[in-house]
Amino acid sequence: MPFTDLQRRPAAAMLFVIASIPSSVLFAQTATPTPTPTSGTVASTPPATAATTVPQPVPMNRGVVVLDPAHGGVDSGSRISDTLVEKDVTLAFAFKLRSLLTSRGFTVVMTRDSDAAFEANSPSTPLSLDDRAGIANHQRPVACLLLHATSAGSGVHLYTSDIAPTAGEPALQPWLTAQAAWVGESGKLERQIATALDRSRVVLASGNAAVRPVDSLTCPAVVVELAPSGDDPATITDTSYQQKVSEAIAGAMVFWQHQAQAPVRILPVPPPAAPAASAAATESNP
Amino acid sequence: MIQRHQRIVFWCLVVCILGMGLLLFWERQRARDRVSQLADNTPIDAPYTTTESITMDLASDDDGTITAQQRQIALPSEVTARARALLDHLAAEYAQPGSVHPLSPGAMVDDVYFVPLPVVGYSIDAGAKPSADGNTPTSLVPPDPDALQPQSPGDELAVINLRGSFVNAHPSGVEVEQLTLQSIIGTLHANLPQIEQVRFLVDGQPRETLAGHADLLRLYMVRDTTTTAAGH
Repeated sequence: MPFTDLQRRPAAAMLFVIASIPSSVLFAQTATPTPTPTSGTVASTPPATAATTVPQPVPMNRGVVVLDPAHGGVDSGSRISDTLVEKDVTLAFAFKLRSLLTSRGFTVVMTRDSDAAFEANSPSTPLSLDDRAGIANHQRPVACLLLHATSAGSGVHLYTSDIAPTAGEPALQPWLTAQAAWVGESGKLERQIATALDRSRVVLASGNAAVRPVDSLTCPAVVVELAPSGDDPATITDTSYQQKVSEAIAGAMVFWQHQAQAPVRILPVPPPAAPAASAAATESNP
Repeated sequence: MIQRHQRIVFWCLVVCILGMGLLLFWERQRARDRVSQLADNTPIDAPYTTTESITMDLASDDDGTITAQQRQIALPSEVTARARALLDHLAAEYAQPGSVHPLSPGAMVDDVYFVPLPVVGYSIDAGAKPSADGNTPTSLVPPDPDALQPQSPGDELAVINLRGSFVNAHPSGVEVEQLTLQSIIGTLHANLPQIEQVRFLVDGQPRETLAGHADLLRLYMVRDTTTTAAGH
C-alpha cells in the first residue's frame, strides 16, 4: 500500500501496521518501560548469572513521544516577521502535532503548553534547556522532537546531533554527550521523517547541528525546524501548510514506533581480580 | 577725571580676570595629565606589516554552505594574537554590505587562549600542611576520562572568549548560528593546525547557546567545515 494512502487513512494505516508487526513488539507498548529482547542475545528464561552479564537494551516507551516547542516566555527565539516570533509558531505547531499523534494512539508529553514553562517546585523559575532534556529523558520516549521555526529558507529543516556515536549506553553517561548512544537511531528517525515529508511534497533540508539540548537527550531525537512554505514569511502560520507537515510527521511516527531499537546498556567493567584470589589459584595449580 | 572708587573696581576686575585665566590654565593642565595617565599605551599586538595569504571559511545563508576563500591579510606572528586577528577579520567580512551571512559590525572576540591537551589542573590539597613559604599545597588533577581526548600530542585547546555585544546581536536560527560556528572552526583549522579542540565563552562566562539554538557549552573538534569547492 502506498505511503500516501496510509496518510490519507490513518485508521487503515494503524491496522496495517499492527497486523504486520510481531506480538513481541506489541507487548513493548506499555506505560512502564519494558526492555525489548534483541535477537539471539537474551534467552527466554535467562539464568540469574546470565542476567547480570548479558547487556540489556535500554528501556523505551514505544507509545510516548516528547514534543519540545522551543523557546517561550522571555526567550522569544528568532523573529519571523514584524508581528511574529518563533516561540508562538513552535507552540502552535506543537499543538497541531500533538492532536494528530494523540489520535494515532501516542501519549504526547510537551515540555511547555503555554507561553512560558516553569519548574514544578518553583513556579517563578522558567524551565532551562537542561530541565527540558530532563523531562524528555524521564519519559524514555520512542522519539523526541525539538520544534523550531525560522524565516530563512523554505519547507522543513531536519537536524540531528553531530556528536560521535557510541556502541551502547554506559551506566554513567556524561550529560553533555548523553545522545551519543542514540545518534544512530536519531539518524534513522530523521530519514523516516524526511521520507514522509518528501512524499507529502514538502521542501526538505537535513543535516547535523549542535542545537541545545539535543546532545543531552537519551532518546531518538530530531530537531524539526519549520520554515515558510514560500517566499512570504507569513506562510509559516498557514494552517493547511502546518497541517500537511504535521500529518507527514505523525504518519512517520506510526512507522517509527515499531522500528526504533534501543541501544544496549554497557555494563561497567568488573574490577581486576584481587591478589589473594590469584595467589590461591597459583597454589592450587603449582 | 576718573574717580578713585572706579579705579579700585577696575583694578579689582583686572586681578580677577588674570586670576581666572591662571585657574583655567591650571585646570587644563590637570585635565590633560589625568587623560594622559588613563591612556593605555601598552602594545597589545606585535607590529606587522607584510601581508600573507590565508584561507577563510566563509558561510552563505543563501544555500547554507561554507566555502574556503583566499584573502591577503597582514597578521601578527604570535599565535593567540593571530587567532584573534583572524576571527576579527572574519567578523569584518560578514559585516560588509551585501554579505551573504550578514552579522552586525563590531569585534567578535575579546581574547583567545591556548591550553595544551590533555587539560589538567590543580586542586587545593586540604590534608597537607602549608609549606614553609606559606603557600597552600596543591595536587595535580588528572585529565577527565570522559572528556574528548587529544588525537595527537602537542595539540591545543583554543578557548575563544566572544564579546557579549557580538553574541547579543547575532541573528537567531539553527542554520545561521551553526554556520557562524562552523565558519570560526573551519577558519581556525585552515590557518592554525595546532588547534584540535575549541571551547566558547561569552564575556568570560559559559553560555548555553549563541542566539537560542547553537550549543556553546560543548567542546568542538576542529575540522574542515567547507561544504563546497574553494573559490576566489
